[in-house]
Amino acid sequence: MDTGRKAPVSHLQDDVEGEENTILIRRTLRSGQKFYYDGNVIVMGDVNPGAEVVATGHVIVMGQMRGMVHAGAEGDESAMVMAFRLLPTQLRIANHITRPPDDEVPPGTFPEVAKIKNGVVTIESYQTGRAAV
Amino acid sequence: MGEVIVVTSGKGGVGKTTTTANLGTGLAQLGNKVALVDADIGLRNLDVVLGLENRIVYDITDVTGGHCRLRQALIKDKRYEGLFLLPAAQTKDKTSVNPDQMKELCGDLRQEFDYVIIDCPAGIEQGFKNAIAGADRAVVVTTPEVSAVRDADRIVGLLEAAELRDPRLIVNRVRYKMVKAGDMMSIEDIIDILAIDLLGVVPEDEMVVITTNRGEAVICDDRSRSGQAYRNIVRRITGEQVPLLSLEEGGLMNRIRRMIGFK
Repeated sequence: MDTGRKAPVSHLQDDVEGEENTILIRRTLRSGQKFYYDGNVIVMGDVNPGAEVVATGHVIVMGQMRGMVHAGAEGDESAMVMAFRLLPTQLRIANHITRPPDDEVPPGTFPEVAKIKNGVVTIESYQTGRAAV
Repeated sequence: MGEVIVVTSGKGGVGKTTTTANLGTGLAQLGNKVALVDADIGLRNLDVVLGLENRIVYDITDVTGGHCRLRQALIKDKRYEGLFLLPAAQTKDKTSVNPDQMKELCGDLRQEFDYVIIDCPAGIEQGFKNAIAGADRAVVVTTPEVSAVRDADRIVGLLEAAELRDPRLIVNRVRYKMVKAGDMMSIEDIIDILAIDLLGVVPEDEMVVITTNRGEAVICDDRSRSGQAYRNIVRRITGEQVPLLSLEEGGLMNRIRRMIGFK
């Protein structure tokens, strides 16, 4: 732990996650590029079809998520995937594997979050402050 | 015991993947059990062309590496009961599989399927060697261009060296009008150079682009000429004698027309 920083304010502690490592990728992942990280991954760019992001924690894509994404790869069911445009070829959380329906849905034009709710992967629009619930 | 057929060309972009997808679909339409194998590791396309990309969990390298069972990696087609795809890996390269593993894999697939069709990568390196390792027969795809024919010739030589005798030829993207005007190599010119048996001729057709982008095979389109050409090729693969579509338009029909004095 970084001792130089102040500890999180006590009443916020439940909402702050700080134990895992988080990595920032400041570019677009293209087809054939695979990124694995033990922790959370933030991509500042797009994830193109054919690219893979695998993280043991959360995955946040500040751009278009069109490739394969796997959050909670070691079995963490509380992991989630967030993207400005969530359009993955396949989305996995822990040991759940989902894919978009075959009949084409109009591409999302707003940020969305995918997480496991009652044992199923659910995708909903991202609302500030409610993503981690 | 099924038959393992490799679709190869040397040159890229001549239509190996499209041909593989259509032959597989066509053979499955006839009630055969078919496995399509994408050997283009690192540049996989067959899954996209078949519209099955989002179903991939395990791939060919997982099978050869023993990370999963063959059956787990096979993806069932959306439309045809008997059609399966063994996808390539996208995040690895050709060296992650070796010819011996491919031989073993083809041997396993042969037990279960009537036809195993392998989509070979472009080039003559490791990927090509892997793709042909387990094959019984080869289909060489070319287009009526000097470069593609030159590469096809090289491939025929390499196939012979690998003891894959009597490869058969598919000439793809033929434009009859240009051939007639003498602006494009004719089928006869190509056969003259390659000296192998002709399996079929597929005309240039916009429908191929349209159906491919939709993740479908043009062979399912009853009206398109390329679909008809692929249907004929499929019947030839199963051993039927089917007259050439090319001669119907480019040669035979004209010859008949000429004979009866139409032209």
